[in-house]
Amino acid sequence: MKRISILLLLGVFLITALVVSCGKPKKVQEETTPPPVITEPEIKPEPEPTPPPPPVLKESQFVTVYFDFDKFNLRSDARAALDKNFNLLQEFPNAIIKIEGHCDERGTIEYNLSLGEKRAKAAMDYLLGLGINQARISIISYGKERPAVQGSNENAWAKNRRCEFKIISQ
Amino acid sequence: MKKNCLILLLLFFTVSLKAQERDVRNVFFDTLRTSDVQPTPIGVDDMKFIGTGTITTEDSTYMLYTTRIIRRDLDFYADFELVQIDSFYLRTYEITALDLLGWMRLGANYVVKLEVEFPGRNMKVKWQLYHTVNRQQIDHGEFNYNRAFWREIGHDIANEIVHTLTGERGIFRTKIVYVRKIGKSKELFMADYDGANERQLTENGSINISPCFDPNREVVYFISYMAGDPHLYKVDINSGVIIKVAEYPGMIAAPVVSPDGKRIACVLTKDGNSEIYVLDTEGRIIKRLTRNPSIETAPTWSPDGRNIAFSSDRTGSPQIYIMDSDGLDQRRVTYNGTWNDSPVWSHRGDRLTFVSRTRNRRFDIASVDTSGADFRLLTEIAMNENPHFSPDGKHIIFTSDRLSAGDIYTMDISGRNKRRITTTGDCSNPYWGPLK
Repeated sequence: MKRISILLLLGVFLITALVVSCGKPKKVQEETTPPPVITEPEIKPEPEPTPPPPPVLKESQFVTVYFDFDKFNLRSDARAALDKNFNLLQEFPNAIIKIEGHCDERGTIEYNLSLGEKRAKAAMDYLLGLGINQARISIISYGKERPAVQGSNENAWAKNRRCEFKIISQ
Repeated sequence: MKKNCLILLLLFFTVSLKAQERDVRNVFFDTLRTSDVQPTPIGVDDMKFIGTGTITTEDSTYMLYTTRIIRRDLDFYADFELVQIDSFYLRTYEITALDLLGWMRLGANYVVKLEVEFPGRNMKVKWQLYHTVNRQQIDHGEFNYNRAFWREIGHDIANEIVHTLTGERGIFRTKIVYVRKIGKSKELFMADYDGANERQLTENGSINISPCFDPNREVVYFISYMAGDPHLYKVDINSGVIIKVAEYPGMIAAPVVSPDGKRIACVLTKDGNSEIYVLDTEGRIIKRLTRNPSIETAPTWSPDGRNIAFSSDRTGSPQIYIMDSDGLDQRRVTYNGTWNDSPVWSHRGDRLTFVSRTRNRRFDIASVDTSGADFRLLTEIAMNENPHFSPDGKHIIFTSDRLSAGDIYTMDISGRNKRRITTTGDCSNPYWGPLK
């Protein structure tokens, strides 16, 4: 959010600079130009010989993995999600992550804690199988204590039976 | 000016009394009435002032609410049924006389007579228990506390009456602990058995769950995510001091203290999967009890500490099993329904109460004897969870979403006499503390 607003500010600054340099007649046209202008400023420091700063991995880039009721086996869509997350972990070799296992509200607190742990472990084992180092992944279960969405219907439940990926360090 | 202040103070006091009173009045019954014992009808006469001079508004409020505490306690108790006072049948206008005949006509076998004086800041209540038919006084006594402890006076009188008529200790001074959701966090709270005098035990903004009383000390064990991963902690309910008890790789969950207070059964996942372990009270492992790739969780001790019941999904869905406390001789107990979990052992040792998913994909509280026979459903509506017994084994506390987004309820072990204890919603995970 902060980043976007800074970029926007930069964009606005650029536009006003342009307006000032170009004079009055073009004013109206300049103002209607769409946001794509914003991306331009980043190209500027190119002549410097220093390497570009490493890209930053964000938690939102990971895909959430979903499960069936009272199950921890990986569905085909879950494996596809994990494949994407695997690619991210390959791309960012320093990232250390924690997989959070969650459940829907049905069933008891204790059972769901165990089930959430099994889900997180299933996701972790899949990534380990693809070759990710064990030292980079840990797991935690929240059972049904931290639902993603409120509600007592199949739609809400389906969204709550999940594994989320959290970044510990990178 | 001074007078105004006093009146304001008085007004405030009555209002706050009323506010405290409101939260536990929500009594309602399920259709289920499968009680094994016919409750004894008992009446509680209005409290009479026998001191000299006149009484203030404040004093009459104390009298009214203390009487209500006694009535509600006795009505709550599984062995009794409260006979409502009815001025049409009773001669209530007389100051000291007790209308035994009137109470007998109303159907009461017993009636409690209450008399009060207000010496200094104290409230002195004399109680007398009468048999209405024999017209005899059975027992009597007196409590003389500071009037700020009007609830305690009421609870102590009710405890005395229970003891006189049943020979057992009343539970009206016991505490309950439970979890309340505040925003994204879950904090531990403690209250009187009827939900009054609520107090917060944890305040760390994290997840605090699975509270369990030590039967001998005023200590509550619980699981907290306050340090990131879930570890086992304990809180001293008097000092509020919290100490970490155990930390193992993976998860620790579902702690439950043995009846002798020396061992803690719990779940550890350090072997890559939920297994039941027994720890000492310092958190050191005494023994691993289960070895299974399936989920083993929710241990509960038999009253003699020799057996542990638990749930396992080794057959595909959770069912209840019993084993020796050293992990040997595991046998399945439940066969009704597709999901039976979260067992608690009754205090007499003959039955297990648990969460069962039987019809309409609902979760109910059910009970079965330890051989697996005599399956009974104790709830019939909504989602119900977390059953635990009162320390006298006659009542069950549980969570239900029948009227709100999760509140604490109590009922008799037969499923009769359901009462709502919390009214705010977002409450769960209750545990009933021991008798002092």
